[in-house]
Amino acid sequence: MKKPPSKDLVRRGTGLSLKFLFVSVLCGIMFLPFIWMICTAFKSSAEVEGAHFWPKLFSPDNIRIVLQMIPDPFTHEYVNLSLLRWIFNSFFVASWVTALQVFTSCMAAYAFSRIRWRGRDQVFLLYLATMMIPALVLTIPRFQIMVSLRLVNTYQGLIIPSAFSAFGTFMLRQFMLSIPQSYDEAAEIDGAGHLQIFLDVIMPLARPGMITLAIFTFLGNYRSLMWPLIMIKDAHLRTVPIGLLAFQGEYGTQVELLMSATLICLIPLIMLFIILQKQLVRGINLSGGVKG
Amino acid sequence: MGMLWTGMRERKHFKAAVGFLCLNIIGFLCFTLGPVLLSLYMSFTNWTLRRSVELQWVGLRNYRELLTDSNFWFFLYNTLYFMLAIPFTVCASLLLANMLVDSMQLKRRALRVRIASIILAIGALNCTFLFLVGRPDPALILAVIYAGAAAGVLWGSVSYRTMLYVPSFASGVATIILWQQIFNPYHGMANNILGQVAQWLNLDVTLPTWLNSTKSLLGFLPLPETFSSGGFGLGAREAIMIMGFWMGIGGNNMILYIAAIANIPQDLYEAAEIDGASGVGKFWHITVPSVAPTTFFIAIMATIGGLQGGFEFARIMTQGGPAGTTTTLAYYIYTKGFVEQDLGYAASVSWVLFAIVFSLTLVNWKYGNRKMEAAT
Repeated sequence: MKKPPSKDLVRRGTGLSLKFLFVSVLCGIMFLPFIWMICTAFKSSAEVEGAHFWPKLFSPDNIRIVLQMIPDPFTHEYVNLSLLRWIFNSFFVASWVTALQVFTSCMAAYAFSRIRWRGRDQVFLLYLATMMIPALVLTIPRFQIMVSLRLVNTYQGLIIPSAFSAFGTFMLRQFMLSIPQSYDEAAEIDGAGHLQIFLDVIMPLARPGMITLAIFTFLGNYRSLMWPLIMIKDAHLRTVPIGLLAFQGEYGTQVELLMSATLICLIPLIMLFIILQKQLVRGINLSGGVKG
Repeated sequence: MGMLWTGMRERKHFKAAVGFLCLNIIGFLCFTLGPVLLSLYMSFTNWTLRRSVELQWVGLRNYRELLTDSNFWFFLYNTLYFMLAIPFTVCASLLLANMLVDSMQLKRRALRVRIASIILAIGALNCTFLFLVGRPDPALILAVIYAGAAAGVLWGSVSYRTMLYVPSFASGVATIILWQQIFNPYHGMANNILGQVAQWLNLDVTLPTWLNSTKSLLGFLPLPETFSSGGFGLGAREAIMIMGFWMGIGGNNMILYIAAIANIPQDLYEAAEIDGASGVGKFWHITVPSVAPTTFFIAIMATIGGLQGGFEFARIMTQGGPAGTTTTLAYYIYTKGFVEQDLGYAASVSWVLFAIVFSLTLVNWKYGNRKMEAAT
């Protein structure tokens, strides 16, 4: 004979189901704008202003237009954009910035959280203080520095100023502070130097923080608008946001084309995030403290 | 002897610190501290992009002008108004993180697959039916919800985290343009849905005109004439705040909170369970205090970001309008500096902004540290 499920199990099951229902509906609501965007991308230009989501005539023509496979039906010319080039540029710049920034921030965060030296807190407060300076203010003098270094309109000009970040240092310092001091005290008693403690003790434990910072940095640079807008003059150096902004300026009234371009620009990002998400979750569970 | 030993130790530590810091410090000096000092100098001059004007030291003139500039106070009010959305967004992120921190997976894989396929089958039937009776839009939305539920059962909360993070990492030029279209009062998605809900409830309401409206939820206050208040209601600022909520709720803050909650030792919860704590009690007495350092970090970052924010929204969606109601201080600095080319004045506005940010952060720092010390 089968035992009936206990009351506790039923209650838990109901709770879990309600949780699933709530989060699923929330996801549905959060995705409404994207559903609208995808539907718009497949609508004909006459249909865009309609109240309905689902296009009456489902056609991939807009996608083909923005990929320069067929000309624009109105002007009979190919649209002026190179999506794949923009995506490559964005990935190239954002990857370099991410690698450099995580590296420099991690080292600095170690010095700010694990080494005791005179003036540490004052220097750190200076870092924190500059983080509050509006980025717009820094932009003008930074641009003049890049002019004098002859780096305007180059990849280096996009990468180098973002390779050092007070934010990353602050974030990793906070993360490293949550790692118990007893770990490196134990390593120090065993005769390890700072470099060894950094590489063998702190870095592995700070990995979730570093991955999180890497994702923040990558996304921030992938969609950064202001700095590339100032630095880049040539069309072949355009990143995705600059390209889309120029595209909006030129074809702003053709919402269906804009949405198609957006859709294509988003696909590589979504794939990338799914890969990184797994790694993030795996790294996050730092189990336990110091044992026995 | 002891003193000497401490001194040597200290020097060794100092050398190590220099080694670890040198790269970062060089970049910091060249691309942060140097530009900061240059912009401070600019704020005391009439620095401009026009070649015909000679560079002059004007002392405190820019700052004096600013204090009597009614626009400055109006745009400061706008900036603070936008920041009212931050606590709501952060609380929502914490609640979501608390919900999504456990894997939400049933133990047996076969059972998961079975439940997921049942959900998908019901969903397919439901959506096909709606589609066939000529209602493709609700079918589409329900399809997403069913697919989300099936993915949730199959892979657990990871799939929800991924889905909820999408708006945040997609945010940028494209999504801002998308929301501009959504808030279009005539054919935008927002008013389509609101109109249908109003019809369904038999309500006779005038729908908000969103980005064209100067109304605000604080419009009933006796605001000065120069604040161009259109009275109580939903206006351009609320539209941007809704978009901000959509972008922020499942974003970086939620990820930070998930990391923080996952790091809370499980035995704390077990001990509380033995003491008979309820779910709410555990959340309030263990989770919230344990993630206090993360909340502290988020509060500081949100204050700094909020006071400097609003540039992209204003530039892409509204150009600061209608009647200046969506112009934040950041956008004011941009228009003063790059449109009117008055860089000296723009720099002085930004330094006043910095003073506000800095004092608020100091308060945050003092108060937050004391609270955290009390908690531990």
